Amino acid sequence: MYTTYDIFDDILGLRNDISRFFREVPVRTRSLDLPYANVYERGDEIEIHALTPGVKVEDLNLELIDNSLVIEGEKKSDYSDKPYIRKERSFGRFKKSIRLPFRVNPDNVQASIKNGVLVVKLVKSEDAKPRRIEIR
Amino acid sequence: MSKEITSTSRKLDERQRNVLVPAVDIYDGGEEYILKAEMPGVAKEDLDITMNNNELEINAAVHGDTGEDSSLSYGEFRLYSYHRKFVVDDSINTSAIAAVLENGVLTLKLPKSEKVKPRKIEVMAG
Repeated sequence: MYTTYDIFDDILGLRNDISRFFREVPVRTRSLDLPYANVYERGDEIEIHALTPGVKVEDLNLELIDNSLVIEGEKKSDYSDKPYIRKERSFGRFKKSIRLPFRVNPDNVQASIKNGVLVVKLVKSEDAKPRRIEIR
Repeated sequence: MSKEITSTSRKLDERQRNVLVPAVDIYDGGEEYILKAEMPGVAKEDLDITMNNNELEINAAVHGDTGEDSSLSYGEFRLYSYHRKFVVDDSINTSAIAAVLENGVLTLKLPKSEKVKPRKIEVMAG
Protein backbone atom coordinates (compact mmCIF):
# COMPACT_ATOMS: atom_id res chain seq x y z
CA MET A 1 0.00 0.00 0.00
CA TYR A 2 1.26 3.44 -0.84
CA THR A 3 1.17 6.23 1.65
CA THR A 4 1.34 9.63 0.12
CA TYR A 5 3.18 11.74 2.62
CA ASP A 6 3.25 15.42 1.94
CA ILE A 7 5.15 17.71 4.26
CA PHE A 8 2.72 20.51 3.47
CA ASP A 9 -0.06 18.57 5.15
CA ASP A 10 1.87 18.80 8.40
CA ILE A 11 2.55 22.48 7.91
CA LEU A 12 -1.12 23.20 7.24
CA GLY A 13 -2.00 21.17 10.31
CA LEU A 14 0.30 23.33 12.40
CA ARG A 15 -1.26 26.46 11.00
CA ASN A 16 -4.72 25.13 11.92
CA ASP A 17 -3.53 24.39 15.45
CA ILE A 18 -2.21 27.91 15.87
CA SER A 19 -5.31 29.62 14.53
CA ARG A 20 -7.41 27.36 16.74
CA PHE A 21 -5.38 28.49 19.75
CA PHE A 22 -6.23 32.11 19.06
CA ARG A 23 -9.87 31.40 18.32
CA GLU A 24 -10.56 29.55 21.54
CA VAL A 25 -10.97 32.49 23.86
CA PRO A 26 -10.62 31.88 27.59
CA VAL A 27 -13.74 32.85 29.53
CA ARG A 28 -11.88 35.38 31.66
CA THR A 29 -9.78 37.79 29.64
CA ARG A 30 -11.05 41.25 30.51
CA SER A 31 -10.77 43.28 33.65
CA LEU A 32 -14.45 44.00 34.15
CA ASP A 33 -16.28 43.86 37.44
CA LEU A 34 -17.73 40.47 38.10
CA PRO A 35 -20.25 39.15 37.35
CA TYR A 36 -20.27 39.85 33.62
CA ALA A 37 -23.63 41.21 32.61
CA ASN A 38 -25.62 41.85 29.48
CA VAL A 39 -28.52 44.28 29.31
CA TYR A 40 -31.33 43.61 26.86
CA GLU A 41 -33.95 46.21 26.15
CA ARG A 42 -37.32 45.46 24.63
CA GLY A 43 -39.67 48.42 24.63
CA ASP A 44 -40.62 49.07 28.24
CA GLU A 45 -38.83 46.00 29.56
CA ILE A 46 -35.24 45.43 30.55
CA GLU A 47 -33.70 42.04 31.00
CA ILE A 48 -30.33 41.68 32.67
CA HIS A 49 -28.35 38.49 32.32
CA ALA A 50 -25.34 37.96 34.59
CA LEU A 51 -22.97 35.01 34.72
CA THR A 52 -23.01 33.62 38.24
CA PRO A 53 -21.79 30.02 38.03
CA GLY A 54 -21.53 28.35 41.42
CA VAL A 55 -23.29 31.18 43.26
CA LYS A 56 -26.16 30.05 45.46
CA VAL A 57 -29.44 31.97 45.55
CA GLU A 58 -29.04 32.69 49.27
CA ASP A 59 -25.62 34.25 48.69
CA LEU A 60 -26.94 36.72 46.15
CA ASN A 61 -28.43 40.10 46.98
CA LEU A 62 -30.17 42.42 44.52
CA GLU A 63 -30.97 46.05 45.23
CA LEU A 64 -32.54 48.87 43.27
CA ILE A 65 -30.87 52.15 44.12
CA ASP A 66 -32.15 55.15 42.20
CA ASN A 67 -32.03 53.88 38.62
CA SER A 68 -29.25 51.38 39.14
CA LEU A 69 -29.44 47.71 39.88
CA VAL A 70 -26.83 46.56 42.36
CA ILE A 71 -25.83 42.91 42.27
CA GLU A 72 -23.95 41.91 45.37
CA GLY A 73 -22.96 38.54 46.65
CA GLU A 74 -20.40 35.95 47.36
CA LYS A 75 -19.19 33.01 45.41
CA LYS A 76 -18.26 30.66 48.20
CA SER A 77 -15.15 28.65 47.69
CA ASP A 78 -15.57 24.93 47.22
CA TYR A 79 -11.88 24.21 47.54
CA SER A 80 -10.92 21.07 49.36
CA ASP A 81 -7.66 20.45 51.15
CA LYS A 82 -6.71 17.78 48.65
CA PRO A 83 -3.78 18.17 46.26
CA TYR A 84 -4.77 20.16 43.20
CA ILE A 85 -3.64 19.35 39.70
CA ARG A 86 -5.28 22.39 38.17
CA LYS A 87 -6.71 25.52 39.76
CA GLU A 88 -8.30 27.98 37.39
CA ARG A 89 -11.55 29.02 39.04
CA SER A 90 -11.80 32.00 41.35
CA PHE A 91 -14.01 32.78 44.32
CA GLY A 92 -14.86 35.70 46.55
CA ARG A 93 -17.19 38.60 47.13
CA PHE A 94 -18.47 40.74 44.31
CA LYS A 95 -20.49 43.90 43.87
CA LYS A 96 -21.58 45.43 40.64
CA SER A 97 -23.83 48.33 39.84
CA ILE A 98 -25.60 48.47 36.50
CA ARG A 99 -27.13 51.75 35.39
CA LEU A 100 -30.55 51.22 33.90
CA PRO A 101 -31.65 53.18 30.82
CA PHE A 102 -34.82 54.41 32.60
CA ARG A 103 -36.51 54.32 35.99
CA VAL A 104 -38.21 51.02 36.74
CA ASN A 105 -41.19 49.93 38.77
CA PRO A 106 -39.67 48.58 42.01
CA ASP A 107 -42.75 46.42 42.66
CA ASN A 108 -42.45 44.55 39.40
CA VAL A 109 -39.03 42.90 39.41
CA GLN A 110 -38.50 39.24 38.68
CA ALA A 111 -35.20 37.52 39.32
CA SER A 112 -34.22 33.91 38.79
CA ILE A 113 -31.12 31.80 38.36
CA LYS A 114 -30.99 29.16 35.67
CA ASN A 115 -27.92 27.10 34.84
CA GLY A 116 -25.66 29.59 36.59
CA VAL A 117 -27.07 32.61 34.77
CA LEU A 118 -28.92 35.24 36.79
CA VAL A 119 -31.85 36.76 34.91
CA VAL A 120 -33.48 39.94 36.23
CA LYS A 121 -36.57 41.28 34.51
CA LEU A 122 -37.54 44.89 35.11
CA VAL A 123 -40.39 47.02 33.79
CA LYS A 124 -40.36 50.76 33.14
CA SER A 125 -42.07 52.75 35.84
CA GLU A 126 -45.30 54.57 34.97
CA ASP A 127 -43.92 58.05 35.68
CA ALA A 128 -40.96 57.47 33.36
CA LYS A 129 -43.25 56.80 30.41
CA PRO A 130 -43.90 59.65 27.98
CA ARG A 131 -47.08 61.56 28.70
CA ARG A 132 -49.11 63.55 26.28
CA ILE A 133 -49.74 67.12 27.33
CA GLU A 134 -52.96 68.73 26.27
CA ILE A 135 -52.74 72.26 24.91
CA ARG A 136 -55.62 74.44 25.90
CA MET B 1 -29.62 9.64 9.16
CA SER B 2 -26.34 8.00 10.05
CA LYS B 3 -24.69 9.07 13.26
CA GLU B 4 -21.24 9.51 11.78
CA ILE B 5 -22.44 12.22 9.48
CA THR B 6 -24.14 14.19 12.24
CA SER B 7 -21.13 14.18 14.46
CA THR B 8 -18.78 15.22 11.68
CA SER B 9 -20.93 18.10 10.57
CA ARG B 10 -21.21 19.29 14.16
CA LYS B 11 -17.44 19.18 14.52
CA LEU B 12 -16.96 21.21 11.36
CA ASP B 13 -19.53 23.67 12.57
CA GLU B 14 -17.68 24.06 15.87
CA ARG B 15 -14.41 24.80 14.19
CA GLN B 16 -15.89 27.69 12.33
CA ARG B 17 -17.38 29.33 15.39
CA ASN B 18 -15.77 30.73 18.48
CA VAL B 19 -15.64 28.45 21.46
CA LEU B 20 -15.25 29.17 25.14
CA VAL B 21 -12.71 27.38 27.28
CA PRO B 22 -14.26 26.80 30.70
CA ALA B 23 -12.20 27.41 33.83
CA VAL B 24 -11.44 24.06 35.44
CA ASP B 25 -10.27 22.83 38.83
CA ILE B 26 -8.98 19.29 39.17
CA TYR B 27 -7.95 17.68 42.41
CA ASP B 28 -6.93 14.28 43.61
CA GLY B 29 -9.55 13.09 46.07
CA GLY B 30 -7.72 9.90 46.98
CA GLU B 31 -10.15 7.33 45.55
CA GLU B 32 -11.03 9.51 42.58
CA TYR B 33 -10.13 12.65 40.69
CA ILE B 34 -12.63 15.47 40.90
CA LEU B 35 -12.99 17.90 38.01
CA LYS B 36 -15.06 21.05 38.32
CA ALA B 37 -15.76 23.18 35.26
CA GLU B 38 -17.63 26.47 35.13
CA MET B 39 -20.07 26.51 32.28
CA PRO B 40 -22.80 29.08 32.88
CA GLY B 41 -25.75 28.90 30.49
CA VAL B 42 -25.47 25.21 29.77
CA ALA B 43 -28.47 22.95 30.31
CA LYS B 44 -28.01 19.30 31.25
CA GLU B 45 -29.27 18.06 27.88
CA ASP B 46 -26.81 20.21 25.94
CA LEU B 47 -23.81 18.74 27.66
CA ASP B 48 -21.78 16.13 25.85
CA ILE B 49 -18.99 14.35 27.69
CA THR B 50 -17.06 11.70 25.84
CA MET B 51 -14.20 9.46 26.79
CA ASN B 52 -12.34 8.15 23.79
CA ASN B 53 -8.82 6.78 23.50
CA ASN B 54 -7.73 8.31 26.79
CA GLU B 55 -9.11 11.67 25.74
CA LEU B 56 -11.77 13.18 27.92
CA GLU B 57 -13.72 15.68 25.89
CA ILE B 58 -16.29 18.13 27.23
CA ASN B 59 -18.53 19.81 24.73
CA ALA B 60 -21.54 21.92 25.53
CA ALA B 61 -23.86 24.00 23.45
CA VAL B 62 -25.55 27.13 24.74
CA HIS B 63 -29.10 27.64 23.57
CA GLY B 64 -31.17 30.76 23.79
CA ASP B 65 -29.88 31.97 27.14
CA THR B 66 -28.48 35.20 25.81
CA GLY B 67 -31.87 36.59 24.82
CA GLU B 68 -32.53 38.39 21.59
CA ASP B 69 -29.26 39.78 20.30
CA SER B 70 -31.05 42.50 18.41
CA SER B 71 -32.21 44.09 21.64
CA LEU B 72 -28.83 44.02 23.39
CA SER B 73 -28.15 47.52 24.69
CA TYR B 74 -25.07 46.81 26.77
CA GLY B 75 -22.95 43.71 26.69
CA GLU B 76 -19.98 42.22 28.49
CA PHE B 77 -20.14 38.60 27.53
CA ARG B 78 -21.18 36.31 24.75
CA LEU B 79 -21.91 32.68 25.31
CA TYR B 80 -20.55 30.36 22.71
CA SER B 81 -20.23 26.62 22.87
CA TYR B 82 -17.85 25.29 25.47
CA HIS B 83 -15.05 22.96 24.58
CA ARG B 84 -12.28 21.41 26.59
CA LYS B 85 -10.20 18.32 26.16
CA PHE B 86 -7.99 16.45 28.61
CA VAL B 87 -5.71 13.52 28.14
CA VAL B 88 -6.03 10.98 30.93
CA ASP B 89 -3.93 7.92 31.52
CA ASP B 90 -4.95 4.33 32.27
CA SER B 91 -5.27 5.00 35.97
CA ILE B 92 -8.89 6.08 35.53
CA ASN B 93 -11.75 3.65 35.49
CA THR B 94 -13.46 5.09 32.43
CA SER B 95 -16.62 3.02 32.82
CA ALA B 96 -17.52 4.58 36.17
CA ILE B 97 -17.27 8.31 35.46
CA ALA B 98 -20.08 10.28 37.05
CA ALA B 99 -21.17 13.79 36.08
CA VAL B 100 -23.34 16.32 37.91
CA LEU B 101 -24.30 19.73 36.56
CA GLU B 102 -25.39 22.15 39.23
CA ASN B 103 -25.84 25.89 39.01
CA GLY B 104 -23.61 26.21 35.95
CA VAL B 105 -20.81 24.15 37.47
CA LEU B 106 -20.08 20.70 36.10
CA THR B 107 -18.58 18.21 38.54
CA LEU B 108 -16.98 15.11 37.09
CA LYS B 109 -15.93 12.23 39.27
CA LEU B 110 -13.20 10.17 37.69
CA PRO B 111 -12.66 7.09 39.84
CA LYS B 112 -9.21 5.59 39.90
CA SER B 113 -8.85 2.03 38.74
CA GLU B 114 -8.21 -0.58 41.40
CA LYS B 115 -4.51 -0.92 40.74
CA VAL B 116 -3.65 2.72 41.45
CA LYS B 117 -5.92 3.33 44.43
CA PRO B 118 -4.06 4.22 47.59
CA ARG B 119 -3.69 1.12 49.69
CA LYS B 120 -2.80 0.81 53.30
CA ILE B 121 0.03 -1.57 53.93
CA GLU B 122 -0.33 -3.64 57.02
CA VAL B 123 2.79 -4.10 59.01
CA MET B 124 3.19 -7.65 60.15
CA ALA B 125 4.53 -8.43 63.51
CA GLY B 126 7.98 -9.96 63.03
